[in-house]
Amino acid sequence: MNATALPLPAPRRDSLGARAVRQFRRDRTGMVALAVVLGYLAAAAGVWFGWWATDWGALTGTKWEPASAAHWFGTNIIGQDIFARAIYSTSVAFEVGLVVALAATALGAALGAAAGYFAGSWLDEVLLWFMGVLEAIPFYLFVAAVAFALQDSPWAMQVGMIATFWIGTARLVRGEVMKLRGIEYVEAARAIGLPSPVIIARHVLPNTTHILLVQASIAFVGAIKTEVILSFLGIGIRDGVSWGLMIEESTKEVLAGFYNNFLAASLLMFGLVMAFNTFADALQDALDPRKVG
Amino acid sequence: MPIAQYALRKLLAGIPLVIGVTLVSFALMVYFGPDRTYELLGKNPTEEQIAEVRSQLGYDRPFAERYAGFLREVVTFDFGYAATGEPVATLLARTVPVSLLLILPGFVLGHLVSLGLALLAAYWRGRVADRLIMALATVGMSVSFVIVMIGFQIVFGSSDWLGWFPVRGWSTDSVGEYLRYIAVPTLATMFVAIGYDTRFYRALVAEEMTRDHVRTARAYGIPEARIFTRNILKNCLIPVITRVMFSIPSVAVGGSLLIESYFGIPGVGRATYEAIITGDQPVLKAVVTLTAILFVLVVILNDILYRVVDPRVSLE
Repeated sequence: MNATALPLPAPRRDSLGARAVRQFRRDRTGMVALAVVLGYLAAAAGVWFGWWATDWGALTGTKWEPASAAHWFGTNIIGQDIFARAIYSTSVAFEVGLVVALAATALGAALGAAAGYFAGSWLDEVLLWFMGVLEAIPFYLFVAAVAFALQDSPWAMQVGMIATFWIGTARLVRGEVMKLRGIEYVEAARAIGLPSPVIIARHVLPNTTHILLVQASIAFVGAIKTEVILSFLGIGIRDGVSWGLMIEESTKEVLAGFYNNFLAASLLMFGLVMAFNTFADALQDALDPRKVG
Repeated sequence: MPIAQYALRKLLAGIPLVIGVTLVSFALMVYFGPDRTYELLGKNPTEEQIAEVRSQLGYDRPFAERYAGFLREVVTFDFGYAATGEPVATLLARTVPVSLLLILPGFVLGHLVSLGLALLAAYWRGRVADRLIMALATVGMSVSFVIVMIGFQIVFGSSDWLGWFPVRGWSTDSVGEYLRYIAVPTLATMFVAIGYDTRFYRALVAEEMTRDHVRTARAYGIPEARIFTRNILKNCLIPVITRVMFSIPSVAVGGSLLIESYFGIPGVGRATYEAIITGDQPVLKAVVTLTAILFVLVVILNDILYRVVDPRVSLE
């Protein structure tokens, strides 16, 4: 290094990732949204560590108590604390969102990359056919059928979501990999005799990270929103409590003029989804230089 | 290639898809699905009675044979009887029109309003109006459909609030009654759809506006309004068509499931929901198969529309 000999500043040579982080940190809305999401995550982590909301199932009050110091959001129809239930549900939302987002994105990346790398082969054809088949089955019916087939396992909802959410990611990754496989460095890797799985895993897939990050964030929000609908319909979360179950419970209350349960679950859910959507937008802006803002 | 020939070829290519859908749904819903033996038996059945019912239901036969039977029903459109004793064909003929009447106004209006808002936002790109429209769209996208449904029902239906429209139910006795009953579900559908669609359409229009041919047209002094319709809107048509077309199968069959079961509307969505809850397989079978066929038809129609909109697209 002869940095001392040259007074000129060394040209900034940072990776795409570092540039994306810098870009993201300049986005004020995105940073606020990220802070809100982290606040929710802290609330969820507290539940996992057993610091709070442990008495979400206990009958700590009487029917429909208004908000008070003891019950911040009041109590529900059978006298459970709505605040504790809403906070506990936050952790359930994160569990569902994280599991589905990670599994669906990983599956989409692996299958999409395989289809794209071997585009035109029988493997690609079979995968495309399978994606088409899964897309053509109505989603709620599919989840219900998965629930039956898994004999009412508590994971049925998650399995149903993972089994369908990977398709969007796989299609995008497939397209990107088809572009990447013609580039020289991939050809060079093939020429020196690296096996295809190694080329895909080490040289092709890392270049789809921008797609995977955005898709994972979309899947996270999608899973949380879908949980609410499925639980509301009675084919989602089976035991415990979740925002969807709270809203389902509240339909008996709102017509009697008691809104606390409905508002608590709705507002908490809206806050998280809104913050995460905004965060995902900022992420997309930071990662995709071609996107027109 | 003539369009009819093209459509026929595509129709044949759609066969593997329909077969796949029936295979997956057979495996999930019938083979691993709920065992209905004891539902059909009386109290304290004997071994022989159990065996007889099981053989009637086909539980004692191998997978391939049972799947072949399932496929035969699908091909001949003979879906048998729902658990209520009503033929599935009659049930569909009764419920599908209700669903279409319920969903169509919101579907059409939702897309039109979204497209309008997206054009305004893109036209004022970067200004306050754009930011406001996009912020509202993100709000619409972030509220759960369930919440909108319940919230709108309270605000528009409950007598404590506005009380303009019925809380739930369905009537087609007169046009006025029909409009009164679809008002709240339609508003709820539009609210959520506008969130997603406006963002999608704006991204499309905004990207199209930065194209070289648009800049060239502007340099030639072509009026802005004409650039908008000729150079921008026309080029956006293909993704718009795809989005509208591909939402048809789910909207026509499954999309109204939530609204119909919540508002007590006797459409195919509620029938499907009840079939899910009770494990009524003939109904589920029919709904899944028909959606798959609709899906294939939509793909074909979509390709043909591409050809109509963009002469560069070849049907080869």
